Amino acid sequence: MAKTNISLSAQHIVKRYGGVLALADGSLAVESGEVVALLGANGSGKSTLSKVITGVVAPNKGELLLDGQPVAFASPQAAQSLGITAVYQELSLIPDMTVAENIWLGHQPMKWRLVVDKQEMLAKTGELLDLFAGTVQASLQPEVPVSALPPDERQIVEILKALSLDPRLIILDEATASLDSRQVGRLFDLVGDWQEQGKAIIFVSHRMEEIFRVADRAVVLRNGRSVGSTSIGETGEQELVNMMVGEATVVPRQLTHDPVAAGAAVRLKLEEISAETLHGVSLSVRDGELLGIGGLQGQGQTDLLRAIFGDIPFTGEMTLSGDVVHFGHPRQAMARDVALVPGDRGSEGLLLIRSILENLQLPSWQRYGFPLEMEAARADAGRVADDLRLVRSSLDAPARSLSGGNAQKVVIGKWLLRAPRLLLLNDPTKGVDVHTKREFYNLLAELRREGTAILFYSSDDEELLGLCDRVLVMLDGRISAELSGDNLTHAQLVATSMSTGRAEAQDHS
Amino acid sequence: MSRFSLPKLSPPLIALLLAVGLFFLGGLIRPGFVNATQAINIVRLAAFLGIIAAGQTLVILGGGEGIDLSIGAVVTLAAILAFRLNEGQNELVPLALAVALAAGAFIGLLNGLGVAFLKIPPLVMTLGMAGVVQGLILAITQGEMIGDTAPVMGRYISAPLVLGIPGVVFIWFILALLIWLLLERTTYGKQLFGIGVNRVTARLSGVRVPLVVLVTYTLSGLLAAFGGFMLLGFTQTVFMNLGGPYLFPSVAAVVVGGTALSGGKGSYWGTMAGALVLTLITSLLTAMQLPEAFRQMTLGAILLILISVYGRQRGLRQ
Amino acid sequence: MNERFQLKYVSLRQPYLFALLLMVVAALVNLVLQPNLLELRVLNGNLRSFLPLMIVTAGQAIVIMGSGIDLSVGAMVSLVTAVLVTQMSLDASAGQILLVILLACGVGMAAGGLNGFGVAWLRLPPIVTTYATSFIFSGLALWILPRPGGNMPETFARWYRQATPLGIPLGIWVAAVLVLLWYLLRKTKYGSYLFAVGGKPDAAYATAVPVTRVLFSTYVIAGLMSAFAALALTLGTSSGDPRIGAAMTLDSIVAVVLGGTRLSGGQGGVAGSILGVIILGLIRNIISFANVPSWYQTLVDALIILIALAGPGLVQLIRRRRVA
Repeated sequence: MAKTNISLSAQHIVKRYGGVLALADGSLAVESGEVVALLGANGSGKSTLSKVITGVVAPNKGELLLDGQPVAFASPQAAQSLGITAVYQELSLIPDMTVAENIWLGHQPMKWRLVVDKQEMLAKTGELLDLFAGTVQASLQPEVPVSALPPDERQIVEILKALSLDPRLIILDEATASLDSRQVGRLFDLVGDWQEQGKAIIFVSHRMEEIFRVADRAVVLRNGRSVGSTSIGETGEQELVNMMVGEATVVPRQLTHDPVAAGAAVRLKLEEISAETLHGVSLSVRDGELLGIGGLQGQGQTDLLRAIFGDIPFTGEMTLSGDVVHFGHPRQAMARDVALVPGDRGSEGLLLIRSILENLQLPSWQRYGFPLEMEAARADAGRVADDLRLVRSSLDAPARSLSGGNAQKVVIGKWLLRAPRLLLLNDPTKGVDVHTKREFYNLLAELRREGTAILFYSSDDEELLGLCDRVLVMLDGRISAELSGDNLTHAQLVATSMSTGRAEAQDHS
Repeated sequence: MSRFSLPKLSPPLIALLLAVGLFFLGGLIRPGFVNATQAINIVRLAAFLGIIAAGQTLVILGGGEGIDLSIGAVVTLAAILAFRLNEGQNELVPLALAVALAAGAFIGLLNGLGVAFLKIPPLVMTLGMAGVVQGLILAITQGEMIGDTAPVMGRYISAPLVLGIPGVVFIWFILALLIWLLLERTTYGKQLFGIGVNRVTARLSGVRVPLVVLVTYTLSGLLAAFGGFMLLGFTQTVFMNLGGPYLFPSVAAVVVGGTALSGGKGSYWGTMAGALVLTLITSLLTAMQLPEAFRQMTLGAILLILISVYGRQRGLRQ
Repeated sequence: MNERFQLKYVSLRQPYLFALLLMVVAALVNLVLQPNLLELRVLNGNLRSFLPLMIVTAGQAIVIMGSGIDLSVGAMVSLVTAVLVTQMSLDASAGQILLVILLACGVGMAAGGLNGFGVAWLRLPPIVTTYATSFIFSGLALWILPRPGGNMPETFARWYRQATPLGIPLGIWVAAVLVLLWYLLRKTKYGSYLFAVGGKPDAAYATAVPVTRVLFSTYVIAGLMSAFAALALTLGTSSGDPRIGAAMTLDSIVAVVLGGTRLSGGQGGVAGSILGVIILGLIRNIISFANVPSWYQTLVDALIILIALAGPGLVQLIRRRRVA
């Protein structure tokens, strides 16, 4: 294969989404034959930078130089035609189409300019699949429908799909998440080949040992800014973590929290909870305790909360208030005074076009008799809205008229109305302004004093550190570490969020 | 959801104004059209459509591409059963009504089971069920429309009752109040709106979505049967396609009334105004002596225009 | 895991296998009740009566594979029937016949174009949109041809009714052509686009598939197929009935489902859908020959349709229960 030549330089990229500044000053450069790792904690802006490079989003400010020339991509296709492709996590596969059809969709080899040359397509697919021979099941054939494949093989198809375009620059965005160690090894062999062919590779990952295996340089983002670009040979894991985290400052605890009352009852106990994305999670929460769950996004935190709430099936034992329970529907969990504040308030927590009142009372209308005593419902809703200091024109205004922070108050409010004894929070302060966050923290403190057990997943590390005595860090559907006391530092949090110093071998059944 | 939002007036109000406008337009086309008797007549005709479209309103409000295409057939079935069972005797009317309602509810229940538990798309399920009901009608009647309408039905439904206004209009308004009560003052109603807006949020708030869907289709069948019973009081006879002409207008009335096809927002008041609008359009077209062909085309075109204004879905580019 | 995977593989790649099995069973039952089923004259007559529905179903199948649905196919058939019968004169020359046929195709495609414009460009929901257009088209049909009547050139009609090229009924030729066209279509880029759009439109869009144009084209194809079906219908009966199309809509949907294509789109094929039509026709034959009292025939027919439609859902339910 002929050697290609490419150089890409992203300089001082700024990107705003509405009111949120995702990237304040992102820079990255990569050249032929280089593998640059892009690192950063939650909210660092690394996925935004990668989207700018591939043309999925357009930057507000800053420059993108391709082979020395400034470029502006109008669409992902524009970037693709210039040789830039990204591999995400199986976003773009059509489930009912075969491996070959998916890989070559839109650029199939043609016969007589009209008909797809199936032989050629299958042959070429075979060649691509051979690159991973020995690391996949024999059943991974070109004519197999993608929906029949396990996640790791689907990820490999995504990789091959990008490769089929013969790109000059490949971005692997968390592309190793579903792969087992043999497949990762093979992928890295291929990366080596690509380097020799003159391709450039950007490797976005949170797995330290992989970064140290495959990358030449590392670019670190923190809070939307590039804070350093070092050669891998000249640095170590700890230094990278420090760069991601900042100086080792003592994070002031947001609130003084009373320790959990001695002898407080265990409200929830989980033993070996497993589901599609969970692999044997065990934990316990006591009354008045605020147990934090941390880790990078997508490691199973959401599914853990959903399983407890009865939204997804699971195996394992769950004990609530001393009784063994297994909820099959959120209704059952609600009947036992469990509440879940979901992660995506727009699509899971709110009825946007309905009124604030209806949103607040959705789980609770049964209490108001028949016909519904609207006055009582209004009074109760008004009271909780006042308690939360919800800024509103009227309870009848539609929920979508509220700002992010206030909208989140409605989602929380509807559960507070039910005085839950176990409160599950799925990243509740995402996209919420600072002032509302503070109010929320005060609320949590008050709930703790009243004896509510709280299980709190947050993608904001500072928040976890400030509020919780104990934090369970999740990684790949398991609890990778339990941090408390002196161990509960930012550096430790970040370090245990990544698979530091541990050989991760996913098993296949 | 719609590209531009119409000014502060709510859709039912707009529809009502449109109806009034059409009424006076009729006066321009046909001098003498505008008078109290004609107005009462229009409302009377609209009442039947309105009652039949009540169930359709609930089904569409519940979202999930909900639609009930079996309503026409259920109307016919109910009318035929009532016709046969009351045999022209007043004492048998309650029985006839009960059986008709039960039949409609049962058909609706089957629709609900198919949609909620077998996950059959509502379009397909209710269309198929319509065929079954039509087959049932043939099997039951064997082509012979036996029966008679009890005098009490005619007297309290279609004949002038109070101030020249026939009973069906009062019944319509009582029904409207009951439906308002159901939608706005019961847990079911709140949950119906909930699943219409967002089924995930509803489930995560404890709503048993399949149950709500089941109840909704059952009610739709029940209300369609009630409409058929009322219609019998008006036509005083039954024939094979009694309810058919009401199916399309039932969907159109709901859309005219401003209820989103995707569900979650709307009211029965809107459907009532929509029923008025559609009845007026049909009357005007008849007054203009246009053939049925033209009427069909106009209705189709109107619905098409309405969906373009009210009901566009999100684009792929986000 | 291997067996499940094999079954799934087969059911996706050859969805019509189950339909084939159903057809053989139905044919055997039919044969028992009507021993002269396979006689050439009877076979020809049967296939000829299935023909219009076969053609319509092919168009519906394409729309459904693109994850849409077309409730106006029957109305489009009525419309084109009206056009054909009023524009065709009894002693038309071959050239004039061709012209009228071209006109019919144009009308069909324009009607389909209206559907496509609404669904693909305006992003209107397919069900209600095609429901609305069905009224426009059937109203138009009624306007053009208020009462059944009209005429088709006698020689043309006679040829159509009696043609058995190479001793094989015309119906089988047409079915074969449809299946062949489909297989060719499937091998083009368009075919892959169709499955992509029907399977997962967001993913298709991300892969630079021209989603809007593909969607639009499916409805135009359905319109064109309706036009050909109308031609077959009028040739078969030598006259036109403006209300003839109504029942075809539901039948076409049922046939597609019976043939193994999912209503959600993204997979399936025309072969299965055509088999579905034959199965439906055989079932109707069985009903009439099984001495089911005539007043019950419609009910039995409708029940079978409902069961056919409920089938996939029932299978899913059982599968879900088993997993839980």
